[in-house]
Amino acid sequence: MSFEPKILGIACNWCTYTGADLAGTTRLEYPQNVRVVRVMCSSRINPSFIFRAFQLGADGVLVGGCHPGDCHYNTGNLYARRRLATAKKILEFAGIEPGRFRVEWISASEGNKFAEVVEEFTNQIKNLGPQMKLKIQEP
Amino acid sequence: MIRFKQIEERLKKEAKILLESGEVTVVLAYGKGYDEKHPMPYAAKKIADVEDLVFNEYCNHNMARYLVRYPQGTKIAIAVKAADSRAVVQLIQEEKVKRDDLVLLGIPIHGMKDPRTGEVIDGKTTCGMYTPVLYDVLLNDDVHGHKISPYDVLAKYEAMDKDERWEFWKKELDKCIRCYACRKACPMCYCDPCFIDQSKPKWADKAPQSPGNMMYHLTRFHHLAGRCVDCGECSRACPVNIPLYLFHKKVAKECEEMFHQKAGMSIEDKPVLIDFRVEDSDKILE
Repeated sequence: MSFEPKILGIACNWCTYTGADLAGTTRLEYPQNVRVVRVMCSSRINPSFIFRAFQLGADGVLVGGCHPGDCHYNTGNLYARRRLATAKKILEFAGIEPGRFRVEWISASEGNKFAEVVEEFTNQIKNLGPQMKLKIQEP
Repeated sequence: MIRFKQIEERLKKEAKILLESGEVTVVLAYGKGYDEKHPMPYAAKKIADVEDLVFNEYCNHNMARYLVRYPQGTKIAIAVKAADSRAVVQLIQEEKVKRDDLVLLGIPIHGMKDPRTGEVIDGKTTCGMYTPVLYDVLLNDDVHGHKISPYDVLAKYEAMDKDERWEFWKKELDKCIRCYACRKACPMCYCDPCFIDQSKPKWADKAPQSPGNMMYHLTRFHHLAGRCVDCGECSRACPVNIPLYLFHKKVAKECEEMFHQKAGMSIEDKPVLIDFRVEDSDKILE
């Protein structure tokens, strides 16, 4: 059986989540590996969410937010950018493949981009294989 | 050669003047421990206490840790080495203490030693600076501003393969017994309650086992990103010798490269993670 990765998608309500909606209503096909969680803004994402997701069995984490400058709350994603970049560096130095964590800016009108990103990211995670480093092993 | 006795005398003199004039109510410095190698953090509150102050090459403690324990508005004098002064600056940036409430007795110094190993810690587990960045009085005229690079010790670990690095950190962090000495010793760890003590949401297991340890330390590294002043107290406090300073140094280095700002260098700055620039590049996310 081929490896089907589990990917946690965290999408901002105003852009990426609406973009994903658009991808759905325009009947675009993309891999079903992403489980999307809606947050009100990308700056809502505590980097511990990402560490915790990897511990609870995610093979990859995809974060989507508004393009810088387009945030519904004006500056939320600019804070998020710094925060998530730091989280990525921490994962990298701890020895987790940095490719397992990705941040993309996808606006509400970019249904196509959402589908493309999910497809690309899923393939990338398939190549990396299951994430076993942080995953909590059941005794 | 550093004349520790002379610094000690001047520290006592300054402390006495400050306490006598009533300018401060407490002087945070170092007191006698059970032997010469183990001086203790000491808060002198009476003029008679001043006689108990000591200063020698084992006075590594970062006294900035104790600032946040006093109610805001308490007038405090504090003995600071270079890294300690950066911690004070960082606390001022975060509005935990006010500059006007503090008298900083700066001690330019190098060649401090770890009592456990007897090794000199300059630049290895510390920030490698000699002169405090913020001070009111300097207690030593022998040392002047040059510094050694704090990031040289990282080269070996940066060159490692990612799997090798994972094995290294897993081995080190699995040793953790969750005594939280790193948190207690850290001048920047003042949250109440700490995320690890919360049970709703429960961020991580409290048992000293691999998953909980990993979650605790990774999150702690992130909470100190752009704030860690690289004093190395976490690793010196650690009873099982986890080289936490390495990770903190790496994160500090990355933050410096990404945001062009070093923690605790100026009271005008804002901590990098509660600030942003519109011109930050998306490259930092790659």
